[in-house]
Amino acid sequence: MVLTADAGFRRDLVRSPENGGVSASAAPPVVVLDGVEKRFGDLVAVGGVSLAIPRGTCYALLGPNGAGKSTLSRIIAGTAPRDGGSVSVFGMDPWREQVRVKTRLGVVAQEDGLDEELDVQHNLHVYGGFFGLRGPELHARAAALLAFMELGGREATRVVALSGGMRRRLAIARGLLNDPELLILDEPTTGLDPQVRHAIWAVLRRLRGEGLTILLTTHYMEEAAQLADVVGVLHRGRLVASDAPDALVRAHLPSHVVETEAQDVAAAPPEGAIAERYGDRLFVFHDDQETLLRWAARHASGRTLARATSLEDVFLKLTGKALDG
Amino acid sequence: MAEVPARRAPPPPPSTATRVAAVWRRHARVYADSFVANATPAVLEPLFLLLAVGVGVGRYIDAEFNGLPYREFMAAGILGMTAVYTAAFESTHATFVRMRYQRAYDSMLNSPLTTRDVFVGEILWCASKGLFYTAIVATVLAVAGAISSPWALLAPVAGFVTALAFAGLGFLFTSFVTNITQFQFFFTAGLTPMVFFSGLMFPVQELPHGLREVAYATPMFHVIETFRLLVSGPSHASVPWAWACPFVVVALAVAFAAAGVRRMQSRLLR
Ligand SMILES: Nc1ncnc2c1ncn2[C@@H]1O[C@H](COP(=O)(O)OP(=O)(O)OP(=O)(O)O)[C@@H](O)[C@H]1O
Ligand SMILES: [Mg+2]
Repeated sequence: MVLTADAGFRRDLVRSPENGGVSASAAPPVVVLDGVEKRFGDLVAVGGVSLAIPRGTCYALLGPNGAGKSTLSRIIAGTAPRDGGSVSVFGMDPWREQVRVKTRLGVVAQEDGLDEELDVQHNLHVYGGFFGLRGPELHARAAALLAFMELGGREATRVVALSGGMRRRLAIARGLLNDPELLILDEPTTGLDPQVRHAIWAVLRRLRGEGLTILLTTHYMEEAAQLADVVGVLHRGRLVASDAPDALVRAHLPSHVVETEAQDVAAAPPEGAIAERYGDRLFVFHDDQETLLRWAARHASGRTLARATSLEDVFLKLTGKALDG
Repeated sequence: MAEVPARRAPPPPPSTATRVAAVWRRHARVYADSFVANATPAVLEPLFLLLAVGVGVGRYIDAEFNGLPYREFMAAGILGMTAVYTAAFESTHATFVRMRYQRAYDSMLNSPLTTRDVFVGEILWCASKGLFYTAIVATVLAVAGAISSPWALLAPVAGFVTALAFAGLGFLFTSFVTNITQFQFFFTAGLTPMVFFSGLMFPVQELPHGLREVAYATPMFHVIETFRLLVSGPSHASVPWAWACPFVVVALAVAFAAAGVRRMQSRLLR
């Protein structure tokens, strides 16, 4: 993935083709996890996750329901203790130095957690108070963020009267109130219609372009591909792969695929292909599209689809489980 | 799309006092938005009680209680009940709704607030409401002629401390609750008998031996005796050791508040 370099905010970022485009030179990563574990009774929710997020980059944790995305993001945000491993955010342990770390964080939780007893602007004013922000400076910033999130004119609206998309935009505005250095978003577009989803992606790309470091969790493959410099695939609490989205695809599967109905295919796949069967669907991967199409014309029947290999296919291969996004 | 608001220098971490005050202000803000609906029942209930029992039944009661006409005797109990119910409701039902249904604390914890900030701010808010309602009810009682001592000016302070104690108790109960209907138990089995058998309706000394000692042991008795010292003076106390009651209430407030906050903190952590 190629970074569009803009001077100023991200002087610490250096493009290097070998590692997928992103590397931090001078500045230490904003987030460093090493062997992080979290258990709920016998259930291992997070089973030894290690990763690093360089300043100014976007990291996406991609995983199905119950993979441990929320648990891991809460541990990073300093709102949940861990059972093992180490976590560093801005060089501090977010659990031991909660106040100092959280002062510099923005968090948009999976359940937006807006204060339904307050109107739109008081949601921001009250939340700003938790950061020690007050007075005209806070009010001006809240107004600017409402305009930025296209909620201008909604100041006095009660939260219960907002649509799902407006609620999520307000939650993001709230997460930006303290001008965070790291923004953590837990499934920011789940349950939103495609139009709102694209609008939120545009906002996040914009913030990312301003040099904000972003950690987002998602079960939408497209979201991860659109926004992330690095995607980490989380499966049952373990990071089973992590890389730039296109590198991830290249590393695990050939570039093209034919999807067809499994029961209709008796023939062997073409030479050099990888065949995977999930339920009643057969996936045949090959680097040469021509070969693949010739094979499909001869052997495939029923509902058949030829396309480029995507992150979703990689996810299926790594976890044996479909994403539900 | 509007401009991304400009970057400022990273803010210094807010102090504990700032954080706790911000929680308090959040509750005050929500409260101010629906002041009339909120305040009316809390203030009207004790006044109905005064009207119905003090004026209605009291007219047929010639006897004096603790050397006071019935109406004046009831003033202390009504003030105690005001502070106790205000704090008890706010720290049980209202806290549980905020925790379970509104998930208000989850997002507070994503800000620099700690679980301690959240519940210290909340219990101070409960106590402040106790102060506020006690002041209103005391004013009405004074106008109705049920208060005779200038020390009654300190009644709101007693309301604050009383509310702190009972909000602490409320937190202790709430920290074990899994279903909202369980609060019924706290009120009908816990508070109501305590209120009515601890010196609100009749002097505790009238109770038979055994029950009387039980009443003396309740926090409510000490609360009502404290208010009686303030609104009627020591000559109308129920027991010779009534002077100790304010100290007991303060001690209970410190102990219950500390324990309640600690329990709620661990309840909130996963
Ligand atoms: N407080 C808790 N107590 C017990 N188990 C929990 C708790 N929180 C999470 N879990 C379990 O831990 C695992 C990981 O949960 P988590 O919420 O982190 O997953 P997720 O990836 O965010 O899923 P989703 O896409 O549904 O939000 C799940 O099996 C979940 O049931
Ligand atoms: Mg989740």
